[in-house]
Amino acid sequence: MSGSRVVVTGLGTVNASTAGGRDALAGALALGRSAIAPVRAFAVDDLASRLAAEVDEATLASLVDRDAARRLSRICRLGLAACVLAVRDADIEGGPGLGLVVGTEHGDFTSSRDFAQGFLRRGAAGLSPMIFPNTVMNTMAAVAAIAIGAKAPSITLNQSTVAGDLAVARGARLVADGRAEAVVAGGVDELFEDVYRRLSQMGALSPRMGGPSGEGCRPFAPDHNGPVLGEGATFLVLESPERARARGARVIAEITEAAWGNVPSAPYSAHSRRIDRGSPVARLLASRRGRPFARCYGAGNGDPDVDDWERALLARDLRGPSADLVPPRSLAPLFGQHGGLGALRVGAAALDTERGAGPVLVHGIARGGCRTALAIGAAA
Amino acid sequence: MSRPGGGGRPDVVVSGLGVVSPYGAGTKSFWTGLAAGTCAIKPITLIETEGFRSRIAAEIPAEAMASLGYSRRRSRADRIALAAAREALADAGVPAERAREAGLIVGAVGGGMLEGEEWYLGETRGRPVRSIRALRSILPFSHAETLGWRLGLVGPKETVVMACASGGASIALGADMIRQGVVEAAVVGGVDALTRICFMGFNALKLLDPTPCRPFDRDRRGMSIGEAAAFLVLEEAERCRARGGRAHALLAGYGMTTDAHHVTAPHPEGEGMIRAMRMALDDGGLEPRAIGYVNAHGTGTPQNDRAEALALRQVFGEGGVLVSSTKSLVGHTMAAAGSVEAAATILALQHGLLPPTANLERVDSEVPFDCLPGTARPAEITAALSNSFGFGGQNVSLVFTRP
Repeated sequence: MSGSRVVVTGLGTVNASTAGGRDALAGALALGRSAIAPVRAFAVDDLASRLAAEVDEATLASLVDRDAARRLSRICRLGLAACVLAVRDADIEGGPGLGLVVGTEHGDFTSSRDFAQGFLRRGAAGLSPMIFPNTVMNTMAAVAAIAIGAKAPSITLNQSTVAGDLAVARGARLVADGRAEAVVAGGVDELFEDVYRRLSQMGALSPRMGGPSGEGCRPFAPDHNGPVLGEGATFLVLESPERARARGARVIAEITEAAWGNVPSAPYSAHSRRIDRGSPVARLLASRRGRPFARCYGAGNGDPDVDDWERALLARDLRGPSADLVPPRSLAPLFGQHGGLGALRVGAAALDTERGAGPVLVHGIARGGCRTALAIGAAA
Repeated sequence: MSRPGGGGRPDVVVSGLGVVSPYGAGTKSFWTGLAAGTCAIKPITLIETEGFRSRIAAEIPAEAMASLGYSRRRSRADRIALAAAREALADAGVPAERAREAGLIVGAVGGGMLEGEEWYLGETRGRPVRSIRALRSILPFSHAETLGWRLGLVGPKETVVMACASGGASIALGADMIRQGVVEAAVVGGVDALTRICFMGFNALKLLDPTPCRPFDRDRRGMSIGEAAAFLVLEEAERCRARGGRAHALLAGYGMTTDAHHVTAPHPEGEGMIRAMRMALDDGGLEPRAIGYVNAHGTGTPQNDRAEALALRQVFGEGGVLVSSTKSLVGHTMAAAGSVEAAATILALQHGLLPPTANLERVDSEVPFDCLPGTARPAEITAALSNSFGFGGQNVSLVFTRP
């Protein structure tokens, strides 16, 4: 990556399996137990889809101060909790040098619905000035920035499927270019009833196409029939190795490259007839002068169209010794599809390299063509 | 912190401009309106306003929307974004093959919410809208999807949601991509169409003036909302020159900071604003005295204008720079505001004419600056700064100079 080198020195996650720092995520990954279960938050009896990976409310409540929790929406609490855990894991302090990048797909739809319902019930008098700010998608970043003292750039990126990995890539660039001394970067989304219901009714969730295997998250499998939604937040702390060394931080891994691009395709479609000239994976491989990756995580989440597209794109880019990395590993069966999953993939890759797994490629592709690629290596 | 990017970084120029504003479609109509000091804030026609404190906004005229020629199946925001981005690319004249490799960064907040609201109101009132197409474009990232597809761009694509600083942030982040050598050119800017949620929300916060907004006026009572799309083509200066392209301005530097103080209110002493402006000046290697004009965030709310005036005084000294607010002319165009006002700043540099602050009659004693009331003023300036601030304590300052 041009500019300064970037290392990962902290990790915080609140997901359906676990909540905590690097050790908590390592434990959940080692256990390998899927957190996908029947939906508890709302009734799904009338839907074909009935599964999700939900964050336990008691766990979340234990992570956020009760007074703060009363005035914060659930998605803000998820983001806030994971950012605080990441900062604690890295033992880093806030200030003018600390930045924040938050990726999200849906933002705080719950607040948008509540705000609209106030109007529908009571007209202009029913509109809540307390709820309105939450309808702007950067509120999660605003709340977290105040909590962790992030006064450098605080950026919210909106993107489907790869919001978390895109945020980490952008965060790495901010550090590499000296725009921030350190950046907390990751993603967050919550399970929202209206989105779940609508996606299920549109056939966008498993069991989208039916089949004997029924509902489930089976990325790249012959019987994949749609994603299963999850929720949660995962954030990483990124900084230069010099700064990490100077403050005695324990480095987990290095982000050696981060790139992203666009495969021109119609909105929400998962195919393109155009040549993918801007392949971020090709850019990564070129900068690595052909050195292969030992492992690859992908965004495939059981959506057959996305799975097949990712497999085809990677097969074109990863040839020779890296060809057997296709199809890539997916973490969606463990944690469900949500805006924090991309950052969780980067976190998993960082922990892999810390344990000596060799360089890892974290790849992402979303309907509509947003494509991400990060190379994670062992800290030198 | 050391100067970002380090030595030897490439210069970034603005080689293309495209605007769809309450004055109509096209950069020419935008500049004509600004130069004439025409306030485009009028009674709202797009959405129902009965029972609200403020019932005015700066809407894009219906005839301008019709002239864009895009299908109404696209969201209103997508249509104006496409028109503005296409104008910017045509204005830049970047060869098609190079344009394809450009990055795309879109600042957005409301997405296709106007159409989503119609769908939602139909559902909840028992009159369901048959098509659910509106839902597919409801999220902010839908604009980047549409632009990336219709313009055939393969470079990095991002949607930045930083409230009212989104458009300014898109320009800053696009410039970084060029400076880092990731791309040679980038299409950057912001878009927002009028939405009920925005209109109702700011009404609920009592932040809207019932009459057209009066930034920096002693009797100001809030802002007026608007809608627009403005896109810029940024290019590496040397490559632009080599292909014989014309640069509107040099993007000399930017600063981006966060207050980390309050979710909606700015820091009362403008601490984050001061850092953003100083960072932008430092990034561009300029002293405050080099700046001849500041296109202020200037919303017309008591809090913002007071904090911004305090910050300007800290950076430039009392009366140290000419200041005006474009929002008094075209309203607060939300996610588009940063790029709309960047375009206004660049055009002011080009034409040697500073757009005025409309509706300003009695300048607040806490605003010790010449805020150019009523009439545009000729001024041969060589550098100007554009401020964009937003909910969440987001601060972006951009510095442009003559190429």
